[in-house]
Amino acid sequence: MDEPILSVRNLSKTYMQGKIPVHALNDVSFDVQKGEFLSIVGPSGSGKSTFLSMIGLLDRPTKGSVFIDGVEVTKATDNEAPKIRREKIGFVFQHFNLIPTLSAFENVDIAMRFARVPKSKRKERATDLLTRMGLRDRMNHKPSELSGGEQQRVAIARAMANNPAIILADEPTGEVDTKTRDMIVELLRDLSEKGQTILIVTHDTSVSARTKRIIKMLDGKIESDTVNAFGEIKTA
Amino acid sequence: MFDLIIRNITQRKFRTGLTVFGIALGIFAVMVMGGMSEYFNRHAENTLNLVDKIQVVPETGYLGGSIDESTVRKVNRVPGVSDAYGLLWMPYDVEGIGLIGDYVVGLPIDKQGPTLKDTKLKSGRLLLPGDTYRAVLGSNVEREFKIKVGDELPIKSKRFRGTSSITHERNFTVVGILEYTSSDYDNVIAIPLETAQKFYELENTVSYIWVVPEPSADGEDLAKRIELSVEKITALSPQKLREQVEKTLVVINLITLSSAILAAIIGGLSVMNTMFMSVSERTRDFGLMKAMGAQFRDILYLTMGESALMGVLGGIFGIIGGGIFIYSMNEYLSSMGMVLFAITPRLIIISLLFATLLGTLSGSIPAYRAMKMNPMEAMKYG
Repeated sequence: MDEPILSVRNLSKTYMQGKIPVHALNDVSFDVQKGEFLSIVGPSGSGKSTFLSMIGLLDRPTKGSVFIDGVEVTKATDNEAPKIRREKIGFVFQHFNLIPTLSAFENVDIAMRFARVPKSKRKERATDLLTRMGLRDRMNHKPSELSGGEQQRVAIARAMANNPAIILADEPTGEVDTKTRDMIVELLRDLSEKGQTILIVTHDTSVSARTKRIIKMLDGKIESDTVNAFGEIKTA
Repeated sequence: MFDLIIRNITQRKFRTGLTVFGIALGIFAVMVMGGMSEYFNRHAENTLNLVDKIQVVPETGYLGGSIDESTVRKVNRVPGVSDAYGLLWMPYDVEGIGLIGDYVVGLPIDKQGPTLKDTKLKSGRLLLPGDTYRAVLGSNVEREFKIKVGDELPIKSKRFRGTSSITHERNFTVVGILEYTSSDYDNVIAIPLETAQKFYELENTVSYIWVVPEPSADGEDLAKRIELSVEKITALSPQKLREQVEKTLVVINLITLSSAILAAIIGGLSVMNTMFMSVSERTRDFGLMKAMGAQFRDILYLTMGESALMGVLGGIFGIIGGGIFIYSMNEYLSSMGMVLFAITPRLIIISLLFATLLGTLSGSIPAYRAMKMNPMEAMKYG
């Protein structure tokens, strides 16, 4: 078996709520192979979003390690973290989180600017990604002029801009209607079939049901880790 | 990245406009007050360069009295003195106190060369032996009276009769006009000494004496020697004169520049306020940028670049506004025989650098705040 693209070892996170320690994550370990399409599910407070923040270097664990593409990212200093985020991770958020003053094209372009990609390459890549997302005619529109589904597709294109090792999607369908939800899940699934590793955090079972692997979390621990044989898209 | 800064600035036109206006006002103040300071400095420097002789003045000071012409002969006899000659100084406006504006100087015709030193004629000629009611004018006098060579310039003198005085007026024919020097010479009305003494009824009297030292003589020592040899006078070497003028200039510079800097700092505070608002509004954007892998320097560049650009824009507008104001004021004042401001390349460069620095520094605290944001927290914000 190939070396996993994501490896989580004994990951723990404890917050202090006043003087009371809250164990948001408790000794979590698992591996993800390249091209996997998996979901992390669980009720509110189960630790799934905290877990995503640890992998994405948006927060620091209390204990344990995360390896992405063989690099132990939890050891990264504040100065090294941006480079790892740029090169290894693409984020898709529930609220789309596009920069409102920039067009769809520029929202994708800006991710590559931080990676110091030359202008001509950025233009080519952003156009290609938005075309793949079916947004060729909407490239010059601002987020306020796009529908929720279109905004999330721009966010996916942005997440893919720097060819990350893994895309982390936090409730990517939380703010869209069921038709758009299906379209987004199908899009992500299509990307995973082309080799892109995608990890979705969701509490929507109809989303997790379409992923190939489901990790269930409860009280900061992995309750179950199952391969979903039925990971088929069902039309709504 | 610069296009992102431009975009952000132009997307908040009104706010940017107000901030830039605040900076521009500050820099306007720097230009105007600095222009005044520059003028005084340049004027003093040019005047001191022209007045390179030892000044012998009455013991009571420049404006405190007069010297009998016999004193000129006494000074001339002091070892180390190459030449000494008296000049009669009177304000043009005999009703005024004569501290500013035009003044009449009666000077020996044969001493025009050493007195005017490098000052060149713009038109006409210098005074010639045999000239009486003739005058050579400085360039400010020409502008004030819109006068040319061959025209008549009326000059008044006050003649005392017991306890009362009679004002007497006489036309002097303009024979020459000097080039602009940005010194006291721009306000001079030079007339023959003998004519001046007669006209002001101050025969055998001069206001002060100019002493040309021998090439080997030390100015400082000679001034002391003159003071010891001649009674009731004070002798000031060019160095001593420069020291005294520089002391006065320091005070003027401090007053003008500190008020200008204060105004500019107020402008800087407006940039800081704007940047704090701008950063707060874009907290989520900065968090997102960090999640996308933006480095500290990217965030710093975007925020500080924005404030620096506003500083530069404010600086440019302030310099243009200040320049227009100074030009208009000088035009207006020159019609009254005065110039108060000077625009120098140094002043423009300092104003622009100051504006940029002000903008950059004002943006540094908000930028630091943006830079230190936790991406997770920032994205939850707003």
